[in-house]
Amino acid sequence: MLMMQPKIKMKVFGCDRDVGEVANVIADPVAKTLSHIVVRTEDRGQRVVPLDQIAEVSEGVRLRCSAVEVSGYPLLCRDDYTTVHQQEVAGLEARLDVEPGETLIPIPEGDRDIPRRGFFTKFTVVINAVLALPLVYPVLKFLIHPMYGAYDNTWVKLARADQFSDVDAPKSYRFKKTLKEGYLERTFDKSHWAMKASPETLEAIYQGKDREFRDKNGDVYWVNRKDVPYIVYSGKCPHLGCGYKWRSTKKYDMAFLCPCHLTIYNIAGSVLTGPAPRALDVLPTRVTPGGDIETIDVEYKAGLVKRVRVI
Amino acid sequence: MRRITKQIFDWFDERAGLRELSDKMLNEPMPGGARYAYVFGSILVYIFIMQLVTGILLMFYYAPTADHAYESTQYIIHNVEYGWFILSFHFWSSSVMVVMVVIHMSQVFLWGAYKKPGELVWVVGTVLFVLVVAMGFTGYLLPWDQRSFWATTVGIEIADKVPLVGDFIGQFLRGGPTTGAHTINRFFVLHVMILPLAIMGLATLHIYLFRKAGPAGPYKGTHRELTKTSEYFFPRQVYKDSVAIGLVFLITCALAFYEPVELLQEATPEPGDYNPVPEWYFLFLFQMLRYEMFSGEWGQIIGSIVIPLAFMIWLVAIPFIFRNPERRLWKRKIGIATWALILFAVAWLTYDFSITEVH
Repeated sequence: MLMMQPKIKMKVFGCDRDVGEVANVIADPVAKTLSHIVVRTEDRGQRVVPLDQIAEVSEGVRLRCSAVEVSGYPLLCRDDYTTVHQQEVAGLEARLDVEPGETLIPIPEGDRDIPRRGFFTKFTVVINAVLALPLVYPVLKFLIHPMYGAYDNTWVKLARADQFSDVDAPKSYRFKKTLKEGYLERTFDKSHWAMKASPETLEAIYQGKDREFRDKNGDVYWVNRKDVPYIVYSGKCPHLGCGYKWRSTKKYDMAFLCPCHLTIYNIAGSVLTGPAPRALDVLPTRVTPGGDIETIDVEYKAGLVKRVRVI
Repeated sequence: MRRITKQIFDWFDERAGLRELSDKMLNEPMPGGARYAYVFGSILVYIFIMQLVTGILLMFYYAPTADHAYESTQYIIHNVEYGWFILSFHFWSSSVMVVMVVIHMSQVFLWGAYKKPGELVWVVGTVLFVLVVAMGFTGYLLPWDQRSFWATTVGIEIADKVPLVGDFIGQFLRGGPTTGAHTINRFFVLHVMILPLAIMGLATLHIYLFRKAGPAGPYKGTHRELTKTSEYFFPRQVYKDSVAIGLVFLITCALAFYEPVELLQEATPEPGDYNPVPEWYFLFLFQMLRYEMFSGEWGQIIGSIVIPLAFMIWLVAIPFIFRNPERRLWKRKIGIATWALILFAVAWLTYDFSITEVH
């Protein structure tokens, strides 16, 4: 059974006379018991007195030694200690019975040397940086691996020229697209709008000039001749990428209407009303000798005035 | 029997410090006492836990690949016992969570509880708000139906317009130029690993900071009155929280039961007759982008990026803008008017969407 523990602010008596009061208690973090008391003597000095000098604890702390002997114990060097608030000592709290106040815990001697602590901190940071930095590039490359691929300029069959009996009557034409992403090959439906344009519509679209399609380097990979009446519009709305429809609208009769943000385009693809920043995207179109209408499945970024190709 | 239970408990307590831990957690004094007004934080913790549980359950059958995501989701809905219910509960919980987040934030704002020393609690809370919305957005793609495909395609197309970094963000999220096989993997990782871990970490930090700052309590009443009527978190507040959580559970069950999730056609870039519409809590933004003033390249950047970003910055900055310690509602006219205006604008835009005909 532990004897009653000394408490902070208790009076301290030497074997001959009053010495002062308990300023702090010091705990041994390994033994998890009190090891010393700090006695604030009458001359305001703080002496570290080992616990075995305590004869009895009742109303005050009665020491075995004399007042003179107390002043022979070392002065408290506060910087050599942390407190129970700064350091977690498992199980210590349950074994202490002290009044609220600072219970001091000695800092290990090897840790009192600040320059070396700084050295260890810096060196730890350096080691971790050396470990982590070389990983940044591989991880980034790993993550962006599928992001930038080459464009696909293969022609896909959309319709037959003899399907277009009326001019300026666009229809949505579906085609099967097969795409290999990483290891996974999928075939899915996609669609573009195609029509046989009247000379006026053709003039409105091309404005008397052939339409050139350029790749990343600025080289022309296809030219739509201004006198070829077959027009293919990308099915992707240039506003934010929804799918638009050719339908009757309240204000403009037949027009292209995007149901998302309600942009309306005329037959020539120009914006009549709504938020889209540019006209519908005309795609490369060719008519094969067999009478098929073919296109390259090009997609441009939505939301920009400029056409920036994405696939 | 009771003695043995106590002995077992004591054995663990001695080693794990259970009593001390639960005492510290539960004996949180709440100035002014427990109230139903304080239930929203606990409700959010509850919903998050339910989302973890139902989300983990869904992963037993869900396959996060473009060729099987749709089928596996259909399998959950149509073949697995109670699959429809667990999926629908998970789906509706996300909506309930957004509602509760907005109520929680509004309340903290109106009560002035973000004021010193609660600033950091608020700041971490705004990040959590973004993460909850991001959870909704990433989860939306996973069933891989038309609704998923178009919401994601349009959403990323918007992110793509962020000046300088937009293109990278878009490509990074999609894992390529179009919404496809890599997109679903990326959204899956975000939805089930990265975002939940981030939410767990930040929610812990949020609660830690809240406990450090202490509950703000009612905005009126003298210090003495509040101390006198103060109550611990347990048992009265825990009871009130439980009642509210029970109510939320029942509402979510009812939504899942009466409006179970049904998938549209499998995702494809061919829209058919489908008119893309985002989840209801994004409708205000969707409607806003239809307006003439947000048309064209720059109008769109202003509507979809500048305004939301400015709003988020304002939200984070609130504790540093409104620094007057005054917490009483009627003395904080500017703050209250701004908050009311924002909620009104969101509600009005959503209403305007509902009455706008596509023609």
